[in-house]
Amino acid sequence: MTAPGGAATGRRRINLFGLGRPLSRERGNFTWVYLWSAPIRATHWIAAACVVVLIVTGFYIGRPYFMTSGEASAHFLMGRVRFIHFTAAAVLIMAGIVRVYWLFAGNQFERLPALFPVTPKNVHNMLRTAGAYLTFRPDKQPSLVGHDPLQQYAYTGLYFMALVMVVTGSTMYGQSNPGGIIFRAFAWVPLLLGGLQRVRLLHHVLAWAFIIYVVIHVYFTIRSDYVERVGRVSSIITGGRYISTDEPYEDYDINQVPAHQWPTPEHPNPKKEA
Amino acid sequence: MMTPSAYAWTEGETLAQHFESRGVSRRDFVKFCSEIAVALGLGIAAGPRIARALESVKRPSVIWLQLQECTGCVESVLRTADPTIGDLLLDLISLDYNHTLMAGAGAAVERAKQSAMAANKGKYVLVVTGSIPTKEGGIYTVVGGRTAEDLVKEAAEGAAAILAVGACAHWGSVQAARPNPTGAVGVRDIIKNRPIVNIAGCPPIGDVITATIVHYLTFGRLPAVDREGRPLFAYRERIHDQCSRRAHFDAGQFVESFDDDSARKGWCLYSVGCKGPATFSPCPIFQWNTRTNWPIGAGHPCIGCTEPNFWDTMTPFYGRLPNVGGFPVEQRVDTIGAALAIGAAAGVAAHAAATVFTQIRRRKATHQVPETGPETENDDG
Ligand code: SF4
Ligand code: SF4
Repeated sequence: MTAPGGAATGRRRINLFGLGRPLSRERGNFTWVYLWSAPIRATHWIAAACVVVLIVTGFYIGRPYFMTSGEASAHFLMGRVRFIHFTAAAVLIMAGIVRVYWLFAGNQFERLPALFPVTPKNVHNMLRTAGAYLTFRPDKQPSLVGHDPLQQYAYTGLYFMALVMVVTGSTMYGQSNPGGIIFRAFAWVPLLLGGLQRVRLLHHVLAWAFIIYVVIHVYFTIRSDYVERVGRVSSIITGGRYISTDEPYEDYDINQVPAHQWPTPEHPNPKKEA
Repeated sequence: MMTPSAYAWTEGETLAQHFESRGVSRRDFVKFCSEIAVALGLGIAAGPRIARALESVKRPSVIWLQLQECTGCVESVLRTADPTIGDLLLDLISLDYNHTLMAGAGAAVERAKQSAMAANKGKYVLVVTGSIPTKEGGIYTVVGGRTAEDLVKEAAEGAAAILAVGACAHWGSVQAARPNPTGAVGVRDIIKNRPIVNIAGCPPIGDVITATIVHYLTFGRLPAVDREGRPLFAYRERIHDQCSRRAHFDAGQFVESFDDDSARKGWCLYSVGCKGPATFSPCPIFQWNTRTNWPIGAGHPCIGCTEPNFWDTMTPFYGRLPNVGGFPVEQRVDTIGAALAIGAAAGVAAHAAATVFTQIRRRKATHQVPETGPETENDDG
């Protein structure tokens, strides 16, 4: 196992204002751990694409900012935008179904209990993380391989936000076929919220919440890459990241897992080797 | 239009006999029944069947209470699609009590109401228009010295069925809009043990009231209703899905202000707050004032008057999104959303700047110690 840190390999790198120089874990031994299975990564990017499409088309449906002219029969702009919106929503729902399945089939970081870090230790870790963010001390963050509790609650919260979006959206979608299956399945929603307009409002407000969420989410992942140098952004593409083997982790016993099970530059395909 | 009191209906006479004596042709009567059959969604073929059922009906008594209201609903009934239908309706029933249409006044008609209720106990249809104020002991609506609540309770006691006609009678309508100073409520909030059908609208279309009464007379029961208690034959479909401007909606052609070119072209009223997508009502089909036109046809957005508490939930009438608790969400939700998003971006940028700054400082400090120094132990990801 080699250390990927620049200092350990002694490679020279361009260092603009010191930004390029790694700080954390720049020395020591590292290994690559496989964290996020293919369904998680696939649903993440499918959902990300859907959310972008849904936000763009949703804001058009809420307030049509383009218009067509001439004969109505020659155009189908709103019709098409709604079609794209509903299709993206359907894809997102399917991704959600896969995610729900993976809550039961996934590894320890992907399973249902991982979504709700409720033990006192977790709460403590959450406060530690928040404190580390507020005081700009990444070195004070808890030592975890998976998500820290603060991050995990943000993601769990996102799942619930998406669920509310799907429920309110399906309610409005069902109105075009009164008495149909979707209409009846979501008949409780307008009753609960006090009318269809409230359903519409909640859907609209949560769209803004998604935009704000994306800003913060993208920032924290990129920031994490910058301060921790463990390849968190690429972990949602490749499935894994680097962890130090010099130090224990609260949620992961690296000694329990034989080294060859993790793909490393030396062992790119550990399963075949085993 | 003649007042009902102008017709003499002999005790025990069936409707067929009554029409015969009044010179209403059977052809006219069947035509009326066919129109009602269509309105009820039964198809024109059901007309003769309704006619046969109605012919043998003994004239049922209807007590019509007008409470905290504007009389718009009665006006609406008087403007049912075909004027003779309105006549026929008032012929079908014995309208024993109705402020607007009664010839008499004062203690005499109150006594007449009492005797009609006593004579038809358990059999009469109670029509209620207007809400029931409950604050201050209900003093906001008093008829003949008695409060609306008192009157409704008394009349409901002997009623076979209740038609809550209009938004007031079911949800309280504008009187019940926040902050509801008179504590206005609907009949359903006072009467729990009688079947109530909600003829929604502000006002409802007269034909819906007529058809509901005929349905009751023909089948002996109220029509099937939706989740809001509205008869499905009328309120099953959404305005938006039957709207004559829908092609413009789908095409992406919208009126943005009432005096723009799009308004003149008759484009979709969505952007000026049309509530058609959230409203279930037969307006586009039944239309108003003897099928002259309907609001959207005349260029005004639907205000959603057949939906629950529409003064609170459908306002602002000219905006897409509702206000909440008096807060003008519509004007502000996008402003606030954009402000928060920009705020988040700015906060993130500030946090990023501070992160970079502290990292650089700490790096400088860290790199002054030997490579194997103990500080690295704490540099935990
Ligand atoms: S005018 Fe209203 S009901 Fe008609 S298509 Fe437009 S939004 Fe729908
Ligand atoms: S068009 Fe809409 S607001 Fe107007 S009467 Fe019909 S339901 Fe009510």
